[in-house]
Amino acid sequence: MNWNLFVTELVAGITHGSVYALIALGYSMVYGILKLLNFAHGDIYMVGAFIGYGLITVFGGPEQLSLNVALLLALMFICAMLGGGLVGVMIERFAYRRLRDAPRIAPLITALGVSFFLENGAQLVLGAQFHSYNSFSWKNNPIALNGFTLPAQARVSYAQVIVVIGTVVLMVALTLFVQRTQTGKAMRATSFDREAAAMMGIDVDRVIVVTFFIGSALAGAAGVFNGIAYQQVWPYMGFQAGLFAFTAAVVGGIGNLPGSVLGGLLIGLAEAFATGYISSTFQQAIVFAILIAVMLVRPSGLLGRAAVQKV
Amino acid sequence: MRRSGLIAALATLAALAIVASAVARPASKAAASASCSTVSIGMLAPITGPASSIGADQLHWAQYYVTQWNKVKGHIKIKLVQGDTQLDPSKASTVAQSFASNKSIMGVIGPAGSDEVQAVAPILRKGGLAFASGSATRVSLTNGSQKGFFFRNVPNDGVQGPTATNYMFAKLGVKSGSSVMVVDDQESYSTGLADIVGQSLSGKGVKVDRESISQKATDFSSLIAKVSSSTKVVYLPFQLASQAQLFAQQLKAQGKTAVAFGSDGTFDAKSFTVNGSYISFFAPDVTTIPADAAIVRGFLKQFPGATSPFGAPNYVLAQMYANAITKSCKDHKITRTELRKNFAKVSLKSTILGTPIRFTSRGDLAGAKFHIFKIVNGKYTTVQ
Repeated sequence: MNWNLFVTELVAGITHGSVYALIALGYSMVYGILKLLNFAHGDIYMVGAFIGYGLITVFGGPEQLSLNVALLLALMFICAMLGGGLVGVMIERFAYRRLRDAPRIAPLITALGVSFFLENGAQLVLGAQFHSYNSFSWKNNPIALNGFTLPAQARVSYAQVIVVIGTVVLMVALTLFVQRTQTGKAMRATSFDREAAAMMGIDVDRVIVVTFFIGSALAGAAGVFNGIAYQQVWPYMGFQAGLFAFTAAVVGGIGNLPGSVLGGLLIGLAEAFATGYISSTFQQAIVFAILIAVMLVRPSGLLGRAAVQKV
Repeated sequence: MRRSGLIAALATLAALAIVASAVARPASKAAASASCSTVSIGMLAPITGPASSIGADQLHWAQYYVTQWNKVKGHIKIKLVQGDTQLDPSKASTVAQSFASNKSIMGVIGPAGSDEVQAVAPILRKGGLAFASGSATRVSLTNGSQKGFFFRNVPNDGVQGPTATNYMFAKLGVKSGSSVMVVDDQESYSTGLADIVGQSLSGKGVKVDRESISQKATDFSSLIAKVSSSTKVVYLPFQLASQAQLFAQQLKAQGKTAVAFGSDGTFDAKSFTVNGSYISFFAPDVTTIPADAAIVRGFLKQFPGATSPFGAPNYVLAQMYANAITKSCKDHKITRTELRKNFAKVSLKSTILGTPIRFTSRGDLAGAKFHIFKIVNGKYTTVQ
């Protein structure tokens, strides 16, 4: 057995899966509370990625960075999360709130409209071309080029380490927030029964805003993770990533946070191992074939629960 | 009720007939002659979008020739009508339709991409327009189906594939029994070229690992994991230089020693800069040809900044059109058919590309050859 190939694919799958997982969490959170498929969520990931790119440019560009790399990374994450979160809140306020009690198809169409609006807006402002974080060339500390070697001579870059550790930290923080705080408890209550939560005195509007903010902030962070590990950002990057993340959320059990993480990792690993061991040409077909098989066995997703219908 | 339905159906048919005749008008008008005081040539190029750096350079070189021509040849002015395709076949079709309908346009430069050429061919052909690309290299474009209408002044991929293969054997240590990974980006330009090179290498006894990855992919680590220590070269016939850059960077990050070798689609000195990589390209770098120094200086004065080898073939296409327009305008009138026939016969003994230019009967460049560049300290150096 070629252990180098196996370990390298494992690392690649976990890294990519981590990015999907972060985006999937936002899908799941919003669906859990509003039963809304927020198709604009992938584009918030794009917004986060561009905020990170903007900061690299502001601080001199990849090869002439005037800021310490650790400081720059911290700034990129804070700004991308805040920026992503605010965009998410604005979308909820202006595009979804008035449609909260409308038939489900209405906010779905609006979500697609917002997605196109963000993509075209980014293209108008930033151009359609690819932009690169070029973290291979960052002055003094190329996090993408430097790293360490695992057993079986598999190399791991520091950028990959940042992505995986960063994702774990954010997931743990989210879990603690949802489980241990008053707002988290309100979120869970709203997710369980919005009307009952409102009757119990929970400010549902506020809960929804917080949900959008947190979910979108995670997508913003995922955008920066993608940039430092895979370099390229462009206005339409959110479409495919959003599609995969949405699939991850569904496979894991939409509305279920650990399920989204599991779904994201599963897709990342399936992509990597399909490329490494079967065929790069049919990678996506193989991934989705696996996912269809999972859905056939567990239609509610791996960790999802079948909805109880009152009759 | 039935009668009113019949009347409505007849009215609809009549309306459709009027619309159809209006749409058909440009084709019938194509044979109409126009004055030679100003002759319009359409330019299909990706002026905006992901390939805008290429498109802008192509447009600028054609504009530069036209500016020079108009300064000297006062009696026949050439007007370049811009059409932005964004390297998108559907957008190219829309612009081509407007060119075909514009009776003042006599010929077309472009489009840039092979997919775009295929998309616009029926439209421009129906309009009776010649169209000539300075960068579309797919072999099948000159298979005879567009004979007399489509031309190119760059070599096709049938030349590119063997050139790359021969160079790998001559200079990069590839020999029978070696391994080479060939990766396409799932676009038809890329898959076609990857197949040519893959077959060419297999024919010489090389173990070819044929792979494919989406043009939108940014993580190549899964694929790079398959590059073994015996892999000498990874051939990347991608359409986007930024993708080749990313692949080559990740190749180095994983500590692989294989050399990245890009095709003409990856030629972009701003986007693909990984040291030690190679690129094959259909045109020479005119900035390195001593005889072109004055022209390059003039170009850079009019269009300050940098230029790439994507541009100069369009200067030559504009020159060829000017030549054909002169012949067509002997009677002070010009038609699309006349220009098309004269364009096919143009033969330039010397050009800024450093070689004579004339077309074969199928519209290909006669005696075409590809050039090889190596990236040294971020700069493209001609090595063959």
